[in-house]
Amino acid sequence: MDTLKRRHFTTTINQQQFSKSGYEQVPLDPIDFDENGKLYKPLRLPENKILAFWQQYNDILIPAFFTVLSFWTRFYLISYSSFVVWDEAHFGKFGSHYLKREFYFDVHPPLGKMLVGLAGLLAGYNGSFEFGSGEAYPADVNYAFMRIFFATFGAWMVPLAYFTAIELDFSQHAVILATLMVLLDTAYLCISRFILLDSMLLFFTFTTLFFLTKFHNQRNDPFSIDWWLWLILTGMSIGCVTSVKWVGLFVTALVGLYTIEDLWDKFGDLSMPKTVYLKHWIARIVCLIILPIQIYMLCFAIHFAILNKSGPGDAQMSSLFQAGLRGNNFYGNPIDLAYGSKFTLKNMGYGGGLLHSHVQTYPSGSKQQQVTCYHHRDSNNEWFIKKMREENEENEEENNSTDVEFVKHNDIVRLVHSSTCRNLHSHHVNAPVTKSQYEVSCYGNEQLGDQNDYWIIEVVDDLLENTPRIRVMTTRLRFRHKTLGCYLRAANAVLPQWGFKQVEVTCDKNNNPSDSHTYWNLEHHWNDKLPAGGSAHYRTLFLHDFWHLNVAMYTSNNALIPDPDKEDILASNPWQWPLLQVGIRICGWDDKAVKYYLLGNPIIWWSGTASLVTFVFLFVWHLIRRQRQFHDFSQAQWTHFLYVGKICLIGWLLHFMPFFIMGRVTYLHHYFPALYFSILMCAFVLDQLTSSCNQITKHIVFGISYLAVILVFWYFKDIAFGFDYPSSELKGRQWLSSWNLVD
Amino acid sequence: MTDHKVRQRHGIQVMEPPDSVQNAPILDEKKTIGHTKKYTKKRIVSNSALAILTLLSFITRFWKIDYPHQVVFDEVHFGKFASYYLKRTYYFDVHPPLAKLMLAGIGWFLGYDGHFEFDNIGDDYITNGVPYIGLRSLPAALGALLVPLTYMIMIESGYPVITAILAAGLVLFDNALICQTRLILLDSMLVFFMLCTFYCYIRFYKYRLREFSNEWWFWMIASGVTLGLTLSVKLVGLFTVLTIGIAVIVDLWNLLDIKRGLTMDHFKKHFYARAIGLIIVPIFVYLFWFYLHFAILNTSGPGDSFMSPAFQETLQGNVMSLESLEIRFNDTITLKHKSTSVFLHSHPQRYPLRYNDGRISSQGQQVTGYKFEDANNYWLIKPAKIFMDPSRPEDDFVKHGDYILLEHINTETHLLTHDVASPLMPTNQEFTTMPKDDDSRYNETVFQVLIDDGDSDTKWKTKSSYIRLIHFDTKVALWTHDKLLPEWAFKQQEINGNKNNVEKSNIWIADQIVGKNVTKPLTPEPPKRHLPFFAKFFELQRLMLSHNSGLTKPHPYSSTPVNWPFLVRGISFWTNNNDREQIYLLGNPFTWWISVGAMAVLVGVLLADLISRRRAIHPISEPVRNRLLNSGLFFFMAWFIHYAPFYLMGRSLFLHHYLPALICSYMVAAVVFNFMFVDSVNYPISVTGPRKAPRIVAKAVVKDITVITCTILLAISACVFYYFSPLTYGTPGIEPEGIRSRMWLDSWDLHFQPKRHDA
Repeated sequence: MDTLKRRHFTTTINQQQFSKSGYEQVPLDPIDFDENGKLYKPLRLPENKILAFWQQYNDILIPAFFTVLSFWTRFYLISYSSFVVWDEAHFGKFGSHYLKREFYFDVHPPLGKMLVGLAGLLAGYNGSFEFGSGEAYPADVNYAFMRIFFATFGAWMVPLAYFTAIELDFSQHAVILATLMVLLDTAYLCISRFILLDSMLLFFTFTTLFFLTKFHNQRNDPFSIDWWLWLILTGMSIGCVTSVKWVGLFVTALVGLYTIEDLWDKFGDLSMPKTVYLKHWIARIVCLIILPIQIYMLCFAIHFAILNKSGPGDAQMSSLFQAGLRGNNFYGNPIDLAYGSKFTLKNMGYGGGLLHSHVQTYPSGSKQQQVTCYHHRDSNNEWFIKKMREENEENEEENNSTDVEFVKHNDIVRLVHSSTCRNLHSHHVNAPVTKSQYEVSCYGNEQLGDQNDYWIIEVVDDLLENTPRIRVMTTRLRFRHKTLGCYLRAANAVLPQWGFKQVEVTCDKNNNPSDSHTYWNLEHHWNDKLPAGGSAHYRTLFLHDFWHLNVAMYTSNNALIPDPDKEDILASNPWQWPLLQVGIRICGWDDKAVKYYLLGNPIIWWSGTASLVTFVFLFVWHLIRRQRQFHDFSQAQWTHFLYVGKICLIGWLLHFMPFFIMGRVTYLHHYFPALYFSILMCAFVLDQLTSSCNQITKHIVFGISYLAVILVFWYFKDIAFGFDYPSSELKGRQWLSSWNLVD
Repeated sequence: MTDHKVRQRHGIQVMEPPDSVQNAPILDEKKTIGHTKKYTKKRIVSNSALAILTLLSFITRFWKIDYPHQVVFDEVHFGKFASYYLKRTYYFDVHPPLAKLMLAGIGWFLGYDGHFEFDNIGDDYITNGVPYIGLRSLPAALGALLVPLTYMIMIESGYPVITAILAAGLVLFDNALICQTRLILLDSMLVFFMLCTFYCYIRFYKYRLREFSNEWWFWMIASGVTLGLTLSVKLVGLFTVLTIGIAVIVDLWNLLDIKRGLTMDHFKKHFYARAIGLIIVPIFVYLFWFYLHFAILNTSGPGDSFMSPAFQETLQGNVMSLESLEIRFNDTITLKHKSTSVFLHSHPQRYPLRYNDGRISSQGQQVTGYKFEDANNYWLIKPAKIFMDPSRPEDDFVKHGDYILLEHINTETHLLTHDVASPLMPTNQEFTTMPKDDDSRYNETVFQVLIDDGDSDTKWKTKSSYIRLIHFDTKVALWTHDKLLPEWAFKQQEINGNKNNVEKSNIWIADQIVGKNVTKPLTPEPPKRHLPFFAKFFELQRLMLSHNSGLTKPHPYSSTPVNWPFLVRGISFWTNNNDREQIYLLGNPFTWWISVGAMAVLVGVLLADLISRRRAIHPISEPVRNRLLNSGLFFFMAWFIHYAPFYLMGRSLFLHHYLPALICSYMVAAVVFNFMFVDSVNYPISVTGPRKAPRIVAKAVVKDITVITCTILLAISACVFYYFSPLTYGTPGIEPEGIRSRMWLDSWDLHFQPKRHDA
């Protein structure tokens, strides 16, 4: 460790160079040099008391000033629109579910929505409001308080940006520019003022980057208290950001890449003892992998603990989990399956749904009635179990008696869809999505049908006890097709729009006995001839539920693909974002209504994007000069240039590029985390470009930048604060014809 | 002096370039004489190996090339395109023209006149009199040359004969390459030119110590030309461009290094030389084929409708130039929708008050799209008086931007649209009509005519003008789509108002003016219009790109890139039910799988080397490592660049898209083989500088184990090739049991599988 520290120390001395701007001036023995190599003169406090006070405390006063401004902008007129704005409809509703403790399902992890619930609780809201889109808030919902709760997260972004810029060693000018840009971006401002997850996502993204830069600056003092503190905080922040939205994984990837590079560097340090190197690894594994996962899981544990009543999201979970929720109607189920029973069938794979059919037919293949897996309660999920037609006819009379015949392992049965009376059927036709497997359809009726309607029930095991019968919820079943020998399977492949984005059901030719997607269990069960079952003791494992829910979230998220038949005016393409070619109307556009338009501050977005390009050119330029042995930078400066460049550019790419690959529908606000990296890059690049200028030029250049940001913000401020006059009065602000600010 | 200078090259000092190379040939000659004596035996071995491989290659490619005498798979397309060249009729395809021109050239040489249309897979060649053997010989010959090319690339890269034999042998015995190259398809040309490019570039690179010598220039220009040829076959050639581009950038980057001692001016010379040879030359080659393409295809043909009206007018006998009439106010016309070819139609029946989904209509007169000629398709164009410049005469030409009313002749009503949802799409506006003497909703009956690429002087012409009809009041465009209305509208097509009024599907064409006929001239007139080459060229490039990405229609045998290296699935090209014969595009599983394994080994070795060097351990000797990094990594990069981009493509993809990458992976396999079984390498292999005696630092040592391993590998390859050859050549037929035993993977969906018995 000692050697390590000295290494850096000696290089600094040897170079005898300090950055021209921004590089922290560490007092060195015995003499200090200023940037021109002259003697460094210690600061003398001026005579004027106010100036003296300013010089002594400006590192507190400036951020304090910006923080105050930040809170003021975020809170100003926050209750102006007394209607449910945009996605408040979703997240408000989810918050209500926490207050009512009803189980719901959503594609995002729970932390953000639990905080919505918390905000509601603190505001004294009882969860009874429906949060219909565009509805007026009733008097008893203190929506202003709830909005303030989230705006607080948004407000802290500004000081975080300030201190991050400081940690990145920006010059005072650049620090202020970055802060100002975060403060005065209309998009950040607008999105922070409502009950939405984005302000929290942004807040935790900002904290992650801040903690990472803090940690980076402790690199020469490993395993010190501060080093541990910032490492642990980085890990916690990663945990939080991913628990709000999965988009947080992008900033996690940034931290991951940083860590890999760091460890790779240390790997090449032959003077470092192996035990120390191992310690570095362990510290990172514990703090950056295990700790975040623990936080993520903790959020889900709390989620499950709060939501202990049956609610709209039940069907996404396993039958046993549902049985553990209060208020469901499983207790009336007869326990053992018998011929003639009506039941619903649940797929036991992670994220599995209920076997479903509806009158719509397959557009290709057999063109017979569709069979899918569906995650919501519906009478189309109900099926009857019957014997083979041949046996049925013989036993016609017996069936009418009160005798009950239970279904056993290896019985050949027919499954009849309750509302259409068609039989579950499979045949030599390839499935629509998973082409290598057979299609499953509904075909015929009570009389009409063939051998392809028959399935052999195979019991895998029973989760509770061994019994020859088939028990509701606990027995794991497989269905083998009698003639094809394939197995009924649903593996989260989503059907296109013609199948209503429900999950495809296929018949798998390959018998893979350990594939849980071929396992099914009975969920609801009705049979008048059988006695109602008691309340058996059902219990599930947290890890199982946790994993199950995450797979379900992943599947639903993938199903959010743009619908080619329907034009979504709010959605946009990723390539439209960096140049701010779109804005979003986030509420009704009546002339008299209070309106908000989600649109960034154009000067910030455009200069951010321009700076990314400029950086690439700067980088290549310096690279070529170095290849020709022109060293414009000292080694330390070059490393720092690369470090900041990598953080900003790779951070931006990580937050932007994945949206091109994603199949799901994308919106403008998905770009907001990436914007932060372009803002930092903008300040950094301006810093680099003016590094050789004198102080006055710098004042002028940065002064103009500040002014531009402030003026453009002032011009556009109404779209973020809300306006109740006709949008046509803002005609002059429609700078691009692709914005729909004005009709 | 000489010695002194050469040594300096490695110093930091800047050396003046070796500007004179006059005495080089003398040295060279001496050297060669010495070498010939020394290496005569080696030469003979090498050349005879090359000869045998070439012979085998031609035999495997040409064996039964006449079978089947039917159209197989994509011969449907490419055979057809060759025919179009011979008939000189314009066609449109997403691929550049070179390969198809070559096929047409062979056809022309054989006296084929292009009469056959290649309409369906299975059409007979013999009965239709197509010289298909000749047409197939071209791709087969180029496909056969892949084997010697691979061999020579490996030899030039400094590998011993045995390694080169292995690489060439893997190519020789690959079923997929044989199957794909002996049919009338583009891939053999593509892969052939790609390998030529690699060969030329490697030759060029080996002359790096004799910069700007004649040989240096020759091989660089040759690389540029072959690069251009690759690109002119398929746009996949861009991946080859990228591969060579990266190699050039790395090369230039090393030259830029001050330690190489080149002055900046000298470096610029290098830079500009490469810019000319490897950028400008390929562009000209690429342009040349398009020039030829346009020059040959001068007659109207099936590709007309893809192009803009201006383009179509340059073609002989085009409908547009022949039958185009200018439209005047008070003409009666029919309007046809461009993409669905229906006429704007109306009839006295009215919309039902309530649709099935409960929405309500205006109950106005129906406006529909109708496929057939009918008097109800006639519309009279009237000027919208209030918008009209009064100085224009009553029967002035209709121009871009004019406001018009459309009167339906038979019912004497005006076309109208309003803010009522259309029958099938709640998002779009309903179209109906209004009695012509009712002025109460005048504004809603006014439409503006916008001609594509028009300005205020452009006249609206039948057939040749693409127009959009924009509603004055609501700004929607007259639009239709291929959804049919229910019984109440006689299953005619729905017409509605599209809010997105700039969409391409809004285009309509005035089909004819009622009562005015064009007298057809007896001899085809020369084209009325001439377009500059570049206008045509860029229009075609745009269309090629957009149609290429639009090829998303699912195909039963399309596959995803992730399956290719592992040969998860093939493509059924052709079947003959009578004799249970089939052609199924499937690689040689053995060679495919060892090449994937070899690439994994290469990556593993390089990673291990990277990691150990980080700890200051140098496990691999410098010459061997150098070769592995330069040559091995080059082939690996070529594989990666010809493979990975397919993941990003949205279009439907097929196994044969992997073939260029496959050849690269065989070369990687040979490199790995060399690393494992041959001690050391021949080093250096670059042609020595003009004033320096040849020196040999390291020499490859071939051991018995090397020869044995290579023999075993090739023997297995040959056996597996033979085993699967009935699927490649389409003959003989295989019994179901034979099919079953050949189905090494369940996912190979061969035909004539045995029926599955109940389990």
